[in-house]
Amino acid sequence: MDQRLVDKFTRAVGAEAVLTDPVQLVTYECDALPHLRSLPELVLLPRSAADVQAIVRVCDSEGVPFVARGHGTGLSGGALPVPGGVVISLAKLNRVLEVDIPNQRVIVEPGVTNLEITKQVAPFGYYYAPDPSSQQVCSLGGNVAENSGGAHCLKYGFTVHHILAVEAVLPNGDLVEIGSPLADSPGPDVLGLLVGSEGTLAVVTKAVVRILRKPQSVQTLLAAFDTISEAGEAVSRIISAGIVPAAVEMMDAVAIEAAEAAVHPNFPPADTILIVELDGPSSEVAELFGIVESTCRQSGATRVEVAQDEAQRARIWKGRKAAFAAMGRISPNYYVQDGVVPRTKLPEVLGRIRQLGEREGLRIGNVFHAGDGNLHPLICYDERIEGQSALAERVAGEILIYCVEAGGSITGEHGVGADKKEFMPKMFSEESLEAMQAVRDAIDPKRLCNPGKVLPTPRLCGEVPGPYREHPVERSGLGERF
Amino acid sequence: MNVSQALRQGTAQDAVDGLVPPVVALPESPEELAKILAAASLDRQQTVLRGGATKLEWGRLADRVDLVIGTEKLDRLIAHRYSDMTATVQAGMPLAALNRQLAEHGQYLPVESAFAGATIGGIIATNDAGPMRHRFGTPRDSLIGVTLAMTDGRLVKAGGTVVKNVAGYDLGKLVSGSHGTLAAVVDATFKLLPIPLGSTTLVATYADGKALAHDAAVIHASQVELTSFDISVSARGGRWILLMRMASSAAAMDAQTAEARRLLSSAPTRASGDDEHVIWDEQVRAPWSEGGTVVRFSWLPAKLPAVASLIEGLRAHGCRVETFTGRIMGAGLLRLDGEEPALAAAVGELRRSTSVGHVVLLRGTRRLKELVDAWGPPTGANEVARVLKRKFDPQGILNAGRGPI
Repeated sequence: MDQRLVDKFTRAVGAEAVLTDPVQLVTYECDALPHLRSLPELVLLPRSAADVQAIVRVCDSEGVPFVARGHGTGLSGGALPVPGGVVISLAKLNRVLEVDIPNQRVIVEPGVTNLEITKQVAPFGYYYAPDPSSQQVCSLGGNVAENSGGAHCLKYGFTVHHILAVEAVLPNGDLVEIGSPLADSPGPDVLGLLVGSEGTLAVVTKAVVRILRKPQSVQTLLAAFDTISEAGEAVSRIISAGIVPAAVEMMDAVAIEAAEAAVHPNFPPADTILIVELDGPSSEVAELFGIVESTCRQSGATRVEVAQDEAQRARIWKGRKAAFAAMGRISPNYYVQDGVVPRTKLPEVLGRIRQLGEREGLRIGNVFHAGDGNLHPLICYDERIEGQSALAERVAGEILIYCVEAGGSITGEHGVGADKKEFMPKMFSEESLEAMQAVRDAIDPKRLCNPGKVLPTPRLCGEVPGPYREHPVERSGLGERF
Repeated sequence: MNVSQALRQGTAQDAVDGLVPPVVALPESPEELAKILAAASLDRQQTVLRGGATKLEWGRLADRVDLVIGTEKLDRLIAHRYSDMTATVQAGMPLAALNRQLAEHGQYLPVESAFAGATIGGIIATNDAGPMRHRFGTPRDSLIGVTLAMTDGRLVKAGGTVVKNVAGYDLGKLVSGSHGTLAAVVDATFKLLPIPLGSTTLVATYADGKALAHDAAVIHASQVELTSFDISVSARGGRWILLMRMASSAAAMDAQTAEARRLLSSAPTRASGDDEHVIWDEQVRAPWSEGGTVVRFSWLPAKLPAVASLIEGLRAHGCRVETFTGRIMGAGLLRLDGEEPALAAAVGELRRSTSVGHVVLLRGTRRLKELVDAWGPPTGANEVARVLKRKFDPQGILNAGRGPI
């Protein structure tokens, strides 16, 4: 990067907040989606909202693209650096500013980890509900950007349901408060737009989150099934009985094998295991849990294990939450996909995924939030075998098509990021994508705020809508379409 | 498509703030609605979008209304995917009609309205919610997908039909609370809930707001799980009433009732069945059942004792507090009576108070709305909302001057 610009950023935030050493920059070249990498030219480590504002103002005046980054646990390349741009790491804005138990809210900076919020309020009998598997390390700012979910969002909703207000720096450098700690802030729900916008509309510098009272009772069971359709049937019957479980998770044989190899949760041998958790008042949980247990047996469960204590419950969840990382034990490489189907389409789509794996000769494990139809196929491959990386990527893309064909979504919680933007037209019409682009252009007219994420690459300049025609730029080999 | 079939002359029944629109459009398809909007934009026709016309008086006064677009002919339930617990419904369908149809499969949308004719489109545009927001949030929290008609004539979708989905910008949230200033809602998809096994309500009565606030804080901090948790005061009754609704199985409700009784300082009565239904129906309708000024405001839950004093003090301005109904989580409605200057002073007092915020004059006489701004000072998000408005509605035709932006 031009030294004049480096100097300008250094004047804005101080030399200690500016990283230029290539060895240090490598840390920021990707998020948790490592196949997309780009070495940033400059990383900035602001310590305050004023620092963030100063950085964004320089970016705005100099036309420098910027990418905000939390703790880099994103799975869609949402924090992938942009050529010629800077990365704004919010890791040092990591203070819990206020714990307000009577009003059941906590004010944090974006670099605070998700689990830290619960740790702060647990002594008072409260918790922060959204619980992505990476909750020990992921940042609240990243959760806001991605509208993170987790295993318990079936009953409690996503990040967007738990954020009351944010302070954010807009792409023009203005510091604004969006939303309100009080209910019924008049006007369009700009906060609802911002949460889940994947860092493309603003940089959040503070958030007011809602905390919940810990439920009186939590009960968890694990049921083993010989087929995925029996497990799916059990889920349908539980939900149609009027029960809204706190969590319903499924793992298939491949995922079970991996989890066993990694963290030894002592899962029973099965084709599919189902984890169901109920929480709420003790009397309610006790009554409904009996229904869940008998429903699992009636649906063909070969074994039902009810967690007798917190340790056993923790063991079950450890097996489930470790499943992604555990794939490394059974495969040299794996690709984590994230798609959604209507819950009733789970057996059909899982069948198609199984066939796809067999056809392409790749093992595909499945770990998913069965209650809301959110699939996480884990595609195993070996990058040392020529062509397998590309094959795995193609298979992962094919799975997204199945999801869209079933009436679902290309992402339930990992976000579109850089990874899936080219799949957006499979889900949304050109008009809809243009409206989303209009939102972005209204707030970020210079297109500096995390460019190249979420929305597909705009059509090449001069191209007219209609059926495919080769653009002169393509013909000349100067550009290509994704 | 012959759009002119969808147009008719406005009548006194179509008046907005006393202004009769020359033209009323009642499109029969989403495409027709979009086409009418585009034509209106091209001609800079000041346009008001109308659902059931139940909340049309909310907001600032209109200077001019050239066109009202009603959604009453877009009133179908497009799909109830009951096994997936989602439904897609056209904007003009009344909430009550929707919930009647959903009940056929034992499901419902957990949103209440004080107004019998309130439509889905109007509920989204105002994000108006009832007591169940305590547990389930406002309409935006159940909304998972939306189709919008834009002023350039395009139909745009955001979200989808699955309960979990983070692809693209959530334009459904954006139009929630927009009061028809950005685009017309054509249809909406919601996640649904199973109708609970049973429901019961505890009613505790107090001599003053402070005593009620004490018990409310105790229950709020307990593990008693309520679907609705409300406060109600009327000039006629004079007593402060705490309403606690729980929905679960019979045994669970008994256990929860016992727990609540143990915690409350005032012994509650318990209502179920029709009695319970009447209690909540009256609670939702109380602010609107008679004429008068209606003011909405919010507060942090722990500020309730200060809010109670503030309300009691409004009398000093020479106005009468007819009803105060609210949610313990910090949202309420006041129905006031009195002369306009006194009412204006009361609104001013609320706006100056540090105990409450977002004081909005929803219903008031023309004179009162001339004296006080209906929406109050702009929020931090207004700057962003206004740039979006310029993009979505470049001619500024949608609810111009009346809405919050």
